[in-house]
Amino acid sequence: MASLLDKMLAILRRDLLTAIRYRSGFVISVAGAAAELAAFYYLARAIGPSFRPEGMDYFPFVLLGMGFYTFLIMGINAFLMIVQEAQQTGTLEVMVTTSTPAAMLIFLSALSAFGRNTIQLIFFIGAGLLLSPAPLLNPNITGCALICFLSLLVAFALGILAAALQLAIQKGAALVWLLGSGVWFLTGTLFPVAALPRPLRLISGLIPITYSLDGIRMALLQGASLALLQREIFVLSMFSVILLPLSLLIFSRILRRARLLGTLSFY
Amino acid sequence: MDSVVLQAVTKIFRHSPALFNWMGRERGGETRALDQISVAASSAQILVLLGPNGSGKTTILKLISTMLIPDEGHVMVGGADTQTDPQQVRRQVGFAVSGERSFFPRLSARENLDFYAALDDVRLPERRRRIELMLQQTGLLDAADTLVMKFSSGMYQRLGIARALIKQPSVILLDEPTRSLDPASATHFWNLVRSLSDGGTTVILATHSLIEAAAVGDFAAVLRQGRLAGYRKIAATDPEELRSFYFHTTGEVDERSLLTAGSWR
Repeated sequence: MASLLDKMLAILRRDLLTAIRYRSGFVISVAGAAAELAAFYYLARAIGPSFRPEGMDYFPFVLLGMGFYTFLIMGINAFLMIVQEAQQTGTLEVMVTTSTPAAMLIFLSALSAFGRNTIQLIFFIGAGLLLSPAPLLNPNITGCALICFLSLLVAFALGILAAALQLAIQKGAALVWLLGSGVWFLTGTLFPVAALPRPLRLISGLIPITYSLDGIRMALLQGASLALLQREIFVLSMFSVILLPLSLLIFSRILRRARLLGTLSFY
Repeated sequence: MDSVVLQAVTKIFRHSPALFNWMGRERGGETRALDQISVAASSAQILVLLGPNGSGKTTILKLISTMLIPDEGHVMVGGADTQTDPQQVRRQVGFAVSGERSFFPRLSARENLDFYAALDDVRLPERRRRIELMLQQTGLLDAADTLVMKFSSGMYQRLGIARALIKQPSVILLDEPTRSLDPASATHFWNLVRSLSDGGTTVILATHSLIEAAAVGDFAAVLRQGRLAGYRKIAATDPEELRSFYFHTTGEVDERSLLTAGSWR
């Protein structure tokens, strides 16, 4: 356990030092988030107060949807980027010969990325709620934490699959971008899923992020009890129980194949 | 007892051309990088791998380090098989990779060493002590806090050696370790390698330098097109004798003799 913590701290330190030394990158990401926040604020004002998706004000609806969606997608993408950057810098081959198993290395690196994304999410939603005319009334913090935790488990599993994809085809980013674009409009990020035609609603029901967004909105904006969140909690639990071991199995198979083919450092 | 054993190892790299390849000339096929290689090195021994480009030297090092898996045969390190017990192998092996890539460019030399040492289970405060020692032994102490993106080729090479040694492995793999070093640094490095071997470490060194091989090696394995073409003891061997053995074994033409015979005039 002490060794794991030591490795976690080493990875956090590496990522923090690298982020600090890319000063312009940090400034650009903050400016991007601020521009996005402003765009949604004025979009909500333009639409007007009469549009209340699922009984919620539109601005907090879209703020939570976009914020949490971006948090999850960036987290999933982080796994892929970790592998891609390690391939490009040539560090992947060396890291897989250390005493730390590759899956653990990627997991710890992704934790570091999720930590960074969490800070961004808190600032994004915090700043947005300050602008919001309707403050949060009686939010269910326990329910929100549970939905977040289960969503994180699913995101970890999908991230490990994305990392495996990058190892296998070296162009995983393109496919993840394609999937991410579809997921964005199918999961009710900007508008309720109920607005979609029935076939698309069925596809939407197969995407775990749909339940993450529903759950987080219900818990925070409507103060829904755990009993009301039962469906979201059950579905996300099922996704994580199935996807986590499956993704680890697929990753280890693809890593072994890359070592056999000698493609670890290909990009 | 043999510390590293390769038993009838074959390594094949298969090439599959791009999906839509009508514009390119890329072709499929395979390269047999190693063909039924059997070689061993015991504790406190320095085995030098010699051979022309593409003969399979680096492939052998990558197989021992677990970067690659053999298609046939077995690679054993300290009794552990690289396929069935890779973690046990990784704990024993340090690999100084050739080339500049493989470091985090916006971290300093000290920070890079600290990161890799943590992944190799070297705990604080022992880690700090070893980092200082390695920086000193590789002559990088003055550049310890410089971002490695500002390093020269020789400095990268030294940092790679420091990284390989920091976990105090029982087997050290060196891929052309003095390629970018000046003569004084190379000699200093050879002394370091000899002292490691005297301390019981198995060293496997791939090089094109016959002078280096003669200076540090105990045994030489000469590779040619993925096969073991020759093997001999080289401790205290005259470099010229090793040179003639190399060219005789590989079948390559020693153009230096042509130069001295005046064939190029």
